[in-house]
Amino acid sequence: MANGVPAELLYSKEHEWVKLDGDVATVGVTDYAQSSLGDIVYVELPRVGAQLAQFVSIGVVESVKAVSDIYTPVGGEVVGINNGLDGDPSAVNRDPYGDGWFYKVKLSDVGQTTELLSPEQYAALIVEA
Amino acid sequence: MNASGALRRTALCDAHLALGARMVPFGGFEMPVQYTGILREHDAVRKRAGLFDLSHMGQFALRGADVGAWAETLTVNKVANMKPGQARYNIFTNEHGGAHDDVIFYRLDDERWLLVVNASNADKMWDVVTSARAGDVEAVNLHGERALIAIQGPRSVEMLQPFVDAELGAMKYYACAEARVHGVREPVVLARTGYTGEDGFEIFLPSADATAVWDAVLAGNRAGGLEPCGLGARDVLRLEAGMPLYGHEMTEEITPLQAGLTWAIKFDKPAFTGRDALLAQRESNTFARIAGVIMDGRVPARAGYAVYAGGERVGEVRSGSFGPAVNANVATALVEPRAAAEGTSLEIEVRGARHAARVVPLPFYKRAKA
Repeated sequence: MANGVPAELLYSKEHEWVKLDGDVATVGVTDYAQSSLGDIVYVELPRVGAQLAQFVSIGVVESVKAVSDIYTPVGGEVVGINNGLDGDPSAVNRDPYGDGWFYKVKLSDVGQTTELLSPEQYAALIVEA
Repeated sequence: MNASGALRRTALCDAHLALGARMVPFGGFEMPVQYTGILREHDAVRKRAGLFDLSHMGQFALRGADVGAWAETLTVNKVANMKPGQARYNIFTNEHGGAHDDVIFYRLDDERWLLVVNASNADKMWDVVTSARAGDVEAVNLHGERALIAIQGPRSVEMLQPFVDAELGAMKYYACAEARVHGVREPVVLARTGYTGEDGFEIFLPSADATAVWDAVLAGNRAGGLEPCGLGARDVLRLEAGMPLYGHEMTEEITPLQAGLTWAIKFDKPAFTGRDALLAQRESNTFARIAGVIMDGRVPARAGYAVYAGGERVGEVRSGSFGPAVNANVATALVEPRAAAEGTSLEIEVRGARHAARVVPLPFYKRAKA
């Protein structure tokens, strides 16, 4: 981890992380994002089977006082969602890279990951922010 | 905001930064929205106590023999019959009965008063006060020059008592006094008022003394669970307590009657700005009004969302948040009278989908009487 940014993940400018496993990507928000959002009380995720286009708003995170969009860092078909967040949205605050994951996408095109940020690039981004 | 558009800072800004606060622009000032998190800060205020910097609020010093009689002509509540040592909630109204601002008058003695207005309305209210001034009334604008620290929560008395010479337990709710406060050379105004639904005190003091008082009260009570609290927690606390926020439950268009503040409107006063309009509104009884709303599910309602009853649009959400004290998403909505009755089933439109909700009495949360 460099500056609290896990080295094995890719990132978006909108503070989502992507974990690649073949052509399936797991998506969540970064520790920096959960900290900025504050106490999270509800997460609205896309349905399994939904087709997502990269970098489009596909859901929301609601903190106590505010709503924030989730911009999917990867495009493709949603093949799984974290149902645990329904009963325990605070998992995003507690464990953003683990229990707080959002959804899994079967990538429409593996090449799209070149549009994402490396851990070093993302670490530099949040230092500037 | 001043002419350059730059944000002003309160005397406590460095203290907030040292405590790790996240700062946001509010009412022209750079203010702490949270320190550790809204839920934790909310919990501290409901169970122990929280410390707030409210130095962005407008403070006007009023002086003169005619302050009470003069202020009564501009506001819905009574002022002239206030006794020294009393504080009272009030609303400045326009000709249509809408609200310029909701405020608190503090009567210090026969001649001297303190008027506290919302930060976002401070410039407007200074215009209202000075342009309408008549008789023996002097006004001095202290906005941004004096600090305001609030301690709120069930343990406020014991936590603040070591730092002040007034006997706090003997002060009634909405009493005010001039008291000696730790490290402050001159007596300062101390009042048992607040905006959280809990017991608590507000201290109006010179900016130069703010940091010393803040640090001392916090350091002396950290072990007892006192937490610095930001504007985020404050908004959730006031919403749970059913207290209106200017710009949401009350505006230049939304009258105090619509906001459910009938208790504060004294129609037996012969004349005040907006009296005729409010009287006509009351007689007609057809006006949209603020209702308490609880969402059935986990999706929060937010200000501006459309409200439906029986398939028809009946109003809109004015404030909405998760309410930790009731463990549900709570909101206020301005709705047609037919949708305002307790128990009415509503639907709130959230991102294109309608979510079930119901009307409940305000406040959502009421503290147990000591």
